[in-house]
Amino acid sequence: MKVTLISIPVRDQEKALQFYTEKLGFLKKKDLPLGGGNRWLTLVSKDWQDGPELLLEPAPLHFEPSKVFQDALMEAGYPWTQFDVDDVQSEYDRLINLDVEFSVKPTEMGTVKVAVFNDTCGNNIQLVEEL
Amino acid sequence: MTFYEKELDRIRDVVYSNEGQINTVIGIRNYIENNYDVDLNLDVLSHMQYVSKYHLLRLFKKYYGQTPRQYLIDKRIEKAKEHLVNDMSVTETCFAVGFESLGSFSTLFKRKIGKSPAKFQKEQLSRSKIDREF
Repeated sequence: MKVTLISIPVRDQEKALQFYTEKLGFLKKKDLPLGGGNRWLTLVSKDWQDGPELLLEPAPLHFEPSKVFQDALMEAGYPWTQFDVDDVQSEYDRLINLDVEFSVKPTEMGTVKVAVFNDTCGNNIQLVEEL
Repeated sequence: MTFYEKELDRIRDVVYSNEGQINTVIGIRNYIENNYDVDLNLDVLSHMQYVSKYHLLRLFKKYYGQTPRQYLIDKRIEKAKEHLVNDMSVTETCFAVGFESLGSFSTLFKRKIGKSPAKFQKEQLSRSKIDREF
């Protein structure tokens, strides 16, 4: 078995596609229609294009428990998932300039530095740098 | 303050309160990052930070979740992939990332990546050729 896919629930796939590609810098990998306006929409890291794909999944629109769980995480400030970066501070500076909102500014936690932002599609996402 | 921020504070207090230990392991990690291509072992690393090698092993595992040896091997394999993608030969790559035997490099690479260094390189190079042609 191989890990090739990570799923992120989003409220609006098109809006998520724009945010994750234009602001975060991911590349679109697969985009196919699933009926009812839904898409199988995956992205990859620009610097690791054969790495795992990120699935922007419209689950909260169709499955109420998914929406409830996502809302609860958002309210608690909990990240849905996290992405590795080389330098949290410079990524924070870059994203702040693109009007991305952070709930946790770059913070050292022992051997890692973290920051948490809002992906505008229902999730908090954590950036992590290993120190 | 959100629930998550409170959790970060709690974890910081419980896990990351010993600044001396954290500075020690961060120093070790940085040393591995900058010297993965030479012969590294616990004796060298422990001497560098003036701690016993068994203490160092325990500390590193406590904060990074793997032993210095495992961390070093992952670093070498990651760098080897970069070299192979950039068309360096398998033998050159092996020595450039600090392995002393081509056999152990190839075996380890295959175990970690699922294919031999030569096969990995061939696939990567043919993939970039296809990308250029289409």
